[in-house]
Amino acid sequence: MRALLAIARKELTVAFATPVAWVLFMVMAFFAAQFFNGGLDAYRFLSLRASQLQSPELLAHLNVTERVLSPLFGSMGVFVILVAPFLSMRLFAEEKRTRTFELLLTAPVRPFEIVLGKYLAALALLLVALLLVALFPLLLSFYSGGLSGGAGVEWQTVGTALLGLFLLGAMALAVGMFVSALTESVIVAALVSLLFLLGLWVVTIFTIGVEGPVRELTGALSASEHLSAFLSGRIEAKDVVYYLSFVALGLYLTDRAVEGHRWG
Amino acid sequence: MIEVENLTKRYRDLVAVDGLTFQVAKGEVVGLLGPNGAGKSTTMRILTGFLPATSGTARVAGFDVFEEPMEVKRRIGYLPENPPVHPDLTPAEYLRYCAGLKRLPRKRVADEIDRVAQQARVEGVMDRVIGGLSKGYRQRVGLAQALLGDPEVLILDEPTVGLDPLQIREVRELVKSLAGRHTVVLSTHILPEVAMTCQKVLVIHQGRLVDYDTLDGLIQKHLPGRKVTLDDIAFLEEIYAKLVQGPAAAQAALSAGGAA
Repeated sequence: MRALLAIARKELTVAFATPVAWVLFMVMAFFAAQFFNGGLDAYRFLSLRASQLQSPELLAHLNVTERVLSPLFGSMGVFVILVAPFLSMRLFAEEKRTRTFELLLTAPVRPFEIVLGKYLAALALLLVALLLVALFPLLLSFYSGGLSGGAGVEWQTVGTALLGLFLLGAMALAVGMFVSALTESVIVAALVSLLFLLGLWVVTIFTIGVEGPVRELTGALSASEHLSAFLSGRIEAKDVVYYLSFVALGLYLTDRAVEGHRWG
Repeated sequence: MIEVENLTKRYRDLVAVDGLTFQVAKGEVVGLLGPNGAGKSTTMRILTGFLPATSGTARVAGFDVFEEPMEVKRRIGYLPENPPVHPDLTPAEYLRYCAGLKRLPRKRVADEIDRVAQQARVEGVMDRVIGGLSKGYRQRVGLAQALLGDPEVLILDEPTVGLDPLQIREVRELVKSLAGRHTVVLSTHILPEVAMTCQKVLVIHQGRLVDYDTLDGLIQKHLPGRKVTLDDIAFLEEIYAKLVQGPAAAQAALSAGGAA
């Protein structure tokens, strides 16, 4: 535990000593702000039209969570996929490149402590980035809460959406960390994990217009389809299992890759 | 303290270490000597558990390095060929990290870092980023890391590389002061270093042990009847050349040394 925490702490120190953490936070906050503004504009336009049409039913159906926040979180999914490889790329590849891997492997530390320490540090950074995204619903709740004709922010949906994004990021980081453990090059680590994750994100486009088991297979593999229930406020076991199995597999394979070094 | 038996390491068709057998007693300072590519670093990497041996065994403090790596790693301080320092951290942050890796008790960490920083003479740069330090300082930060936790066994792969002459002298003094309480294995191809710091010399050539003896023993064996003092390092060059190249080369080295 002591060594694990020392490793996590060192990873965080490096992330904040280099631009990595700051660029991550900036990218997430910047794009979240853009999608938030866009969503608000669309919402304002719709509510204007609804009041022009004098239609109280339409007004009653206008919902900020559904119209503004869900699209925001959905768009942030892509950015989680895009930034995760840059968080995970250094974890092992950089240690190998700078020969500090020798320090880790000759210290009285088990491979799994190394893997978990590094992974937890990356997860912590991701969590902070998502908390920055969570500031936008908070901002919205100051203005939309309790207005007649429209529901305020539905915190439950916000919560499940953030949980979904976190699980998506946890999966992406585990995959990226494994790739990083296989190479000495951070660029290769970032590119390979990015390609793999983007492939999983868009895998359903290969079966547009196809019916049957192939379509079901791509749907089951798709990282984006498993996010949709979270975005509409539901936590479904199959989605949680999907993300967590990637996490477990990624951690296990990374552990094997590190242990493998001891065998030459 | 260290027992190596029939140690062999093969990389595909290359035999890096070939049937190496030797022992190092507790408190001894042993110098590993040999040309580049002789297998010095490989031997050290196997002893520290970084590389597996192809065959043969190595034991440190009675523990097999492959079967019980944790017990061995707990007892070894290791300075690899390239100091394993993180360029983005300061020496203070780096040493705190290493103290965590070595599981030093939390309340001892600050004192322990002060101690090794002083021993390795890096107190003055503790808050500067390692990436901005000179090669000599980076080397010494790596050395401080190896000393952290006062391990029983120290394995130092070319500890004086990249240092200036005065720093080299300081590091040699440091190594000498470690003798007795610590078992030290250091590699080098600087011959005076061996004469000045080591009690025993282990000469490796092409992965094989060519000779392993005390300095006096080597002199008697290879230069019988010659009067030499340890201040005179030409004799070591002669012995070294004899061992790794054969007598003809030794003669050449000698006459070249005489001419200079």
